[in-house]
Amino acid sequence: MRLAGFYLFAALVALLPVVFPDNYYVTVVGVTAFFNIMLAVGLNLLMGYAGQISLGHAAFFGIGAYVSAVTTVRYGWNPWVAMAAGLVLVWLIANLIARPILRLKGHYLAMATLGFGIIIHIVLVQADAFTGGPDGLSGIPGLVLFGWHVDSDLRWYVVAGAVMLLYVWLSLNIIDSREGRALRAVHGSEVAASTLGIDISGTKVRVFVLSALMASLTGSLFAHQQAFVSPDSFSFFFSIELVTMVVLGGLASTFGAVFGAVILTFLPEFLVVFEDFQMLIYGAILMLIMIFLPRGLFVTMADRIGPMFAGYFRQGIRET
Amino acid sequence: MLDQLIQFLITGITVGAAYALVGLGFAIIYNASDVVNFAQGEFVMIGAMSAISLIDMGIPYGVALAAAVAITVCVGLALEKFAIEQARDATVVSTIIITIGASIFLRGMALIVWGKDIYAMPPFSGEKPIHVGNATMLPQNIWVMAGTAASVLLVRYFFNRTATGKAILACSYNMKAASLVGINVRKMLLISYGLSAGLGALAGILIAPITYITYDSGVMLGLKGFSAAILGGMGNPMGAVAGGMLLGLLECIGAGFISSGYKDAIAFVVILMVLFFRPGGLFGSAQAERV
Amino acid sequence: MGVLLQVSGLVKAYGGVRAINDLSFDVKKGKVFSVIGPNGAGKTTLFNLLTGVDTPDTGSVNLDGYELVGRPPHRVAACGVSRTFQNLQIFHNMTVIENVMVGCHLRGCSGLWSAALRLPSLLAEERRIRTWADEALAFCGMEDLAQARSSELSYGVLKKLEIARALAAKPRMLLLDEPAAGLNDTETLEMCELIKKISETGVTVLLVEHNMGLVMDVSSWVFVLNYGSCLAQGTPREIQRNPQVIAAYLGGETGIE
Ligand SMILES: Nc1ncnc2c1ncn2[C@@H]1O[C@H](COP(=O)(O)OP(=O)(O)OP(=O)(O)O)[C@@H](O)[C@H]1O
Ligand SMILES: [Mg+2]
Repeated sequence: MRLAGFYLFAALVALLPVVFPDNYYVTVVGVTAFFNIMLAVGLNLLMGYAGQISLGHAAFFGIGAYVSAVTTVRYGWNPWVAMAAGLVLVWLIANLIARPILRLKGHYLAMATLGFGIIIHIVLVQADAFTGGPDGLSGIPGLVLFGWHVDSDLRWYVVAGAVMLLYVWLSLNIIDSREGRALRAVHGSEVAASTLGIDISGTKVRVFVLSALMASLTGSLFAHQQAFVSPDSFSFFFSIELVTMVVLGGLASTFGAVFGAVILTFLPEFLVVFEDFQMLIYGAILMLIMIFLPRGLFVTMADRIGPMFAGYFRQGIRET
Repeated sequence: MLDQLIQFLITGITVGAAYALVGLGFAIIYNASDVVNFAQGEFVMIGAMSAISLIDMGIPYGVALAAAVAITVCVGLALEKFAIEQARDATVVSTIIITIGASIFLRGMALIVWGKDIYAMPPFSGEKPIHVGNATMLPQNIWVMAGTAASVLLVRYFFNRTATGKAILACSYNMKAASLVGINVRKMLLISYGLSAGLGALAGILIAPITYITYDSGVMLGLKGFSAAILGGMGNPMGAVAGGMLLGLLECIGAGFISSGYKDAIAFVVILMVLFFRPGGLFGSAQAERV
Repeated sequence: MGVLLQVSGLVKAYGGVRAINDLSFDVKKGKVFSVIGPNGAGKTTLFNLLTGVDTPDTGSVNLDGYELVGRPPHRVAACGVSRTFQNLQIFHNMTVIENVMVGCHLRGCSGLWSAALRLPSLLAEERRIRTWADEALAFCGMEDLAQARSSELSYGVLKKLEIARALAAKPRMLLLDEPAAGLNDTETLEMCELIKKISETGVTVLLVEHNMGLVMDVSSWVFVLNYGSCLAQGTPREIQRNPQVIAAYLGGETGIE
């Protein structure tokens, strides 16, 4: 069954708060994990499947979050309208920069995406008349869904969990389609893909825009859930952290991205005692995984455990 | 107005000199191994931090500086040996992530060793300002410029005149062919990493008396050095030097006349424009002149 | 028989080297047209120019009334031109069947959104693509390998996979760049049969190959390239007897006769 792994995962997400109600790690850290999963799954479409590295993904997350924050706090917009405005703005920006950026390869692409991310971060810090500068912006209103106020941890768990599952489902669907195969073909061999009729730059642009939109929507939700945003959440380092999530699980595997995001969300929780060592450990993970398990922890594990397990998640597991 | 411009030029050239050294390190490693070393900025930080600590311990100034460079060179060699060499067949994306991992790792080490404190280093020779018209500069500014000029000339000499330098160049053109004519490619790679770590440390030591140093100072410096290398055309060391100077000047003039808060943004906008419209760099293509 | 492809005045220089030097020739519909020549003669360069992978300095490539020069590769492909590569260009991140399904790209039309939401139209198209891909695989005798990972296959099988992938696009013209290079004798024989079988379906084949036995067996016209220029062309028999060709190949050492 194509989506067996997905249903299993969805059941797990649904059961956790029932089995562990009011558990900090489920309803609080869990929501953060959901946001990270959404971002990692989107980035994985671009980076894992299409093979286009992005070191500036946090920028789109930040734009979405800040459009929601600024328009609702300063201008009193309805959160849903604000969310849509964020999507429109990100759509415009992504389309504007996608073509010139994605013409670049390897190190140049890394530099360009990184530069873009840093520029956006600087704007968030400097444009303090709108953004509140380095101190950020607080008092962002919560969401109301058809009169249902999303105001408790558990309710946020439900909303973020649902959107997260939607993202995973979309990603699994895309990969197993004509467009998804085109993405992977572009990664595999650009020249072969183009001689089979695939428009390379068009394909890259579409997936870039899609993953930017996914990040923007996540940003809006994040802003409403936290009720506060500051530029720190959207820095170059967060972009790197997102890359780490994708790489840790295994490039080109949707569930790998999920796995990486979950691990990297919970790791700091358990490392608080060693706060000073956190950075060291992050760096070591990145290096060790890339050197010794370039296919990622999740993908390698799934293959080791055997065809039974791998079969359930087959969908998400592709070799790089 | 003119005085102001001269002042910006002095600052710009000083900052640019530091970028140039970092960029030079980038270009050397890129040339030798096709790897963009995102940990280059950490070499700068480690060089400066070790020098400051050693001076604090009461070790004579000159000895402390030399030891700091030596420590950083060892870090560079270790990076090559334990990370880059282990992942020889890695893809471009993998090597980018590995060196980013290395940079975070080194920063994490620095955090544990030196904490989050801000460090300052006593200048090489006094703090008596020198007047150039109405603009002023510190003796350290001159040290930075002279030190950069001297190291650039030395690097040039190394690559153009010495057997080892030429052997490294041979590796950069064709690694397989180089090893066939009896060049020890692995050793050449090690030397390149050592050399560029040393250059990074030198940059750190030169600028530490002017700017304050923290465990994460290397991030921006590294990115600026990378930008310098791209401006000059990746794999063109002298281009990287020119790119660094240009970037430093642009930044200081931009900061002075537009807005200091957007200083870094200006630099990155320039880089994006160069990448979009002249990806081969400003100074000829990478192929035309690889040194 | 009509002419499918008309090449005239084609020139491509890399720096000072004229890799293709003022080439003109016609390819007849439904035939196997072979291009032979020593290493570095410009055969692969010619294929790159014909498929839009590279653009010529001057000259025109006309496919049944469509000018191909100036079109990017995916538009050339849309005109019905498919190819394989001298250095394998397999999508190693996919299974065999998925590789071939990519070949069907031009025969489908679903986009990102219908894929994301898995609309019924997409499902129907997916089933069609799967059937076409299965057919192409079966045509090349690889139906058992559909689910294999391409990274696990032998070189000879991958060569066939590239052909299956190219055929899945239902091309009018198929360009094969050294399909038998690196194959053992049995595999070469199979390849020979496969090329004949492809030609029988009406697809025009352009073949670059160093194995003269195979070339002379399958071709109806042979074009000899030397330093980017035409040295001779004719039927296999004519070429085998051509003194210039024999001289260029060092008196038949490479296996002519
Ligand atoms: N991208 C390129 N840049 C520079 N020179 C090139 C390029 N591609 C091909 N050449 C040169 O053009 C000439 C023809 O090369 P080509 O690959 O077309 O030869 P070929 O006939 O396919 O040889 P082989 O039988 O070895 O495959 C060679 O001299 C080659 O060095
Ligand atoms: Mg060839």
